[in-house]
Amino acid sequence: MSVLAMTTQVEGAPAAGDDPFQDYGAHALRYDELATPDGAIRPHWRVFCDEFRAIPSDRRMARVLRLNRLVRENGIAEDIFADAAQTAEPWRIDLLPVIFSAGEWAFLERAVIQRARLASAILADVYGPQTLLRSGDAPPTLIFSDGAYLRPCLNAPDPSLDFYAVDLARAPDGSWRALDTHAETPAGSGFALANRVVHAQVASDLFRSVNGLRLAPFYQKLQSELLSRVNRDDPLIALLTPGPHHEDYFGHAYLARYLGLVLMEGGDMRVVGGRVYMKTLEGLKLIDLIVRCVEGASADPLEFSPSGFLGPVGLMQAVRKSPRLVSNMLGSAIVENRGLAQYLPALCKKLLGEDLALPDAPRWWLGDEASRAHAFANFNRMVIRRAREGTGRPGGAEFGRSPARMSQDAAAALRDEIVLNGATLVAEEPVGFATTPSWTPTGVRPAPYAVRLFAARFGGEYHVMPGGIALTVDAATGVSLSAADGNTRDVWVASPNEVNHHVTLMRPAIEVSSVQRSGKGLRSRAADNLFWLGRYTERADGTMRLMRAALTRMRDEGAESRAGEAVRMALAAILDKDAGRKDDDKREPLKAVEDLVVTLMTSRDRAYSLPSTLESAHQVASLLRDRLSTEAWRALQSFETNPVWRGDAMPAGVTDIIDALDQGVATLAAFNGMVAENMTRNHGWRFLDIGRRLERASNLSELLLALFGQAHDDDSETSGLLFTLEAADSIITFRSRYLFAPVLALVLDLLLLDETNPRSVGFQLAAVDAHLSALPQASQSGVQTEEQRMILELLTRVRLAKVAQLAQTGPDGSRGEFRALFLHIVNTLPRLSEAITRRYFSLTEDELRRVYSRTGPRP
Amino acid sequence: MIYDLSHKTLYRYSAPVAQSHHLIHLAPRAVPGQTVNRHTVIIDPAPASSTDFTDAFGNPATILAIEQDHSELLIHSRGQIEVRAKVKPDIGATVSWADLARQLSGPGPHDLSVVQYVCASRYARPAPDVRDYARVSFPQGRPVLEGAMDLTSRIYADFKYDPRATDVATSVSELLRIRRGVCQDFAHLAIAGLRSLGLPARYVSGYLLTHPPAGQPRLQGADASHAWISVWAPETGWVDFDPTNNLMPSDEHITIAYGRDYHDVSPIAGVLLGGGDHRIDVAVDVVPL
Repeated sequence: MSVLAMTTQVEGAPAAGDDPFQDYGAHALRYDELATPDGAIRPHWRVFCDEFRAIPSDRRMARVLRLNRLVRENGIAEDIFADAAQTAEPWRIDLLPVIFSAGEWAFLERAVIQRARLASAILADVYGPQTLLRSGDAPPTLIFSDGAYLRPCLNAPDPSLDFYAVDLARAPDGSWRALDTHAETPAGSGFALANRVVHAQVASDLFRSVNGLRLAPFYQKLQSELLSRVNRDDPLIALLTPGPHHEDYFGHAYLARYLGLVLMEGGDMRVVGGRVYMKTLEGLKLIDLIVRCVEGASADPLEFSPSGFLGPVGLMQAVRKSPRLVSNMLGSAIVENRGLAQYLPALCKKLLGEDLALPDAPRWWLGDEASRAHAFANFNRMVIRRAREGTGRPGGAEFGRSPARMSQDAAAALRDEIVLNGATLVAEEPVGFATTPSWTPTGVRPAPYAVRLFAARFGGEYHVMPGGIALTVDAATGVSLSAADGNTRDVWVASPNEVNHHVTLMRPAIEVSSVQRSGKGLRSRAADNLFWLGRYTERADGTMRLMRAALTRMRDEGAESRAGEAVRMALAAILDKDAGRKDDDKREPLKAVEDLVVTLMTSRDRAYSLPSTLESAHQVASLLRDRLSTEAWRALQSFETNPVWRGDAMPAGVTDIIDALDQGVATLAAFNGMVAENMTRNHGWRFLDIGRRLERASNLSELLLALFGQAHDDDSETSGLLFTLEAADSIITFRSRYLFAPVLALVLDLLLLDETNPRSVGFQLAAVDAHLSALPQASQSGVQTEEQRMILELLTRVRLAKVAQLAQTGPDGSRGEFRALFLHIVNTLPRLSEAITRRYFSLTEDELRRVYSRTGPRP
Repeated sequence: MIYDLSHKTLYRYSAPVAQSHHLIHLAPRAVPGQTVNRHTVIIDPAPASSTDFTDAFGNPATILAIEQDHSELLIHSRGQIEVRAKVKPDIGATVSWADLARQLSGPGPHDLSVVQYVCASRYARPAPDVRDYARVSFPQGRPVLEGAMDLTSRIYADFKYDPRATDVATSVSELLRIRRGVCQDFAHLAIAGLRSLGLPARYVSGYLLTHPPAGQPRLQGADASHAWISVWAPETGWVDFDPTNNLMPSDEHITIAYGRDYHDVSPIAGVLLGGGDHRIDVAVDVVPL
């Protein structure tokens, strides 16, 4: 965004030089991060406040706008399959971070490490000797009633935690307490990382002034740790995700890309002989280590939850063979159980010989009789929640049920539920939250907040990521990290020492994409998605170019245009593809073209309209986030965030539409340029290119067939040819070769035969041919595969075609040979596409199912 | 009593299965009063891998992986098992049910092999309606096993045996409503009822000797796998009750496995890749020697 654009957007903002902290108004009796009870700014915030004040107010506003835009463009926490009409809580990043002083951080670091060590020790016991359960130090019914306790993992050789996170909040008196523990997956840290990367793009100057600690060293060490656990050159480390339908998918993809892990779903894996493999185009590849981002209980339908298909069948078997295969270990989520809270201080003493530095918020496990009695005696002060919640999404914690807000009947039913199933419930007493500064358009205001901190184990010790993710919480009703408004903020740790700022996190995608090696093989599913990404982006490009050529002709020539009918037929042909409709529009061409343009620009019901095509492109690109550079992704994301391309805002006049199309074509060109310049020439790139080439060959052939299968009068034909050359981006080439008006034979030479013209049908077919011979399952000997034979036959027919003969017309004005050739091309290309799908993508098709034998006699 | 046991399961798929995994609980467990003289499982097609292990409840279990395309799968379990008649425990001399529940929910030390069966599980989860049904059998002060026998008899009287009424996923609350089902449903109801009172109850998977009507020969393959329950009291240890037949098993029940519910000890649980529709044929023969 240009500086000019930024300033024009904030017209009317208050004049520069005002003090954003002037009306801060922190509550004197409630702890605030920025201000002391008497209103003074705390020392570790002073540098930040001074510099923040010094930023002119219009520039501050510009930063906010840029931050919002970056969040949108990066698609943080975006649900890619959400209904576009239904906007869920948007993810926002506050311009102001939470800043912790070095002293405060030293305490938090120690406390979080202690809690992680404690969690790990509890885990080691409940999956090992179970001494704590026998003695009752940890109630056995608490553990056994939790679905996260996975009995097949009992007696694991070394049960322990690698990834740990904890949600913390300050009580209004300033003391810290733990709200929730996250020991299932490291997913949340992907969000924290993304927040930092995005926020740093608008606040790196402030970050430097505060001397903030960087995240990169933490992740570098984590990455080395993962690599060091695998005793093999070029190891394959997977990040196992539930897939794009999961709300944390963004975090999974981000973390995978950042750590250089291969993002996989359970369906991409296969267990053979107690080992886990990745299904690739070349066959099965051994997986060395799995960073688990799926629930343990859903990770193996054979031995855990029968309805959990998120991991490969037989994973537990593989873990029996290689106990360190999965990290965190399966079953680790048991230490998240909220009911453990009241037992932690004693457990800490017993297991670590230390006092628990940071205890939990007031919380009672309702499986215990005394706790139940306490909860019932103070029922209206309590919030009742499940001991196991199961979501790790930052801000997604459930609010729970408040007896105080219930009818008497409902409260009585809740009591009964507690008596029956108290082992799975906790009672909690809300104690309120401290505040931290939050940006608002009218200045900085205190907002109640909670924060999630992350720890990981490397070199045998736990380390805390020097950052985190803070959220504004609902102080009135929340007892946990329940953020109603999606307002997040970065967490800065002010370092007293000089911090080396030369290595930056600002472009992690590029840093890390260079770490990915082609030798790991291409997942069949990713190949499929790349193929369709190529098709959809080319389809969008072709449609935009055609519309642009059409509108330019109509604008410049008006009703006089002889190309009107050709233009109308070309546009109608695109839309009619989904319905197999016959074009029988008898209206005046200019009016018909207008209608067609509107439909192409706005309809979400038609499969081949621009909004539909771009939406499809965006969806498959979302599934490929780990393979696309940030820039390539942002190019596609910019369509998704622009109301024009979502079909919600039709530009007013022809010129504006042409401008929009120009921009759209330029954006796609940028995307294609990024692909051409940045993507390794591996099989993945080949599939993307095959998709694009097939689509382009198909679209151009259809256009030529629709417009020139039947001869028209000379003027119309000339006009139609000019239009076609323009749509095919070949008009300059034509003009450089021929100084006269186009005739069909010469245009066909350029658009069909000329394999040096990257827009010609011949060029596309030759490229597909080359790709297919280079793919892993291509025949290495004389016998060619089905798809290789098809492309060879097509290419040969095109190469042997004589343009003069193709252009000849019969007595009725129809071009017999022309029609035969192009019909053949148009009919063969979809079959070719199917053949490729069958050979390369079908590994992903079958679905897993369960069968049981039934007890008892047959019905 | 010595039995020859044969349990044949044949899966037929409408489309080839590319890969299948099965977790099987077919080998009878060595339990007090029961000796497994021999036992084998024949699998066709031959599995690429077969791993025997002891599951978390102490049952013998096997995991099979079949890696070749197959349209049929035969799993045939055969063995010879000796079961001795049990001495009937004095159910009236057991602790009062409420005292037992209180003792188990109190502070440690705990016997985990008992406590784990007090907790809710997938198919046997305490609920108000189930608790209310079970509570009738447990008036104040009643010895726990006497209550268990009464509950067993009431289920036998109140519910109709109907193999078509339920499936694997039918909940206990649903069962209470429709009042019909099969042995595993009755077992789940009894277990959920006992657990909702804080009492330890477990699911027993096994076989039952069937008696053909007088004067008729035994029909081949007409027997069936069976399920019943086991309840714990400090005086007796675990004692079995069969709500489907209103009795306390002696030497006509063969035990395969113990679990919290059907899911822990399902005879064959498989996960398939491909396969289309499937048909299962089961033939069980329990022949006294």
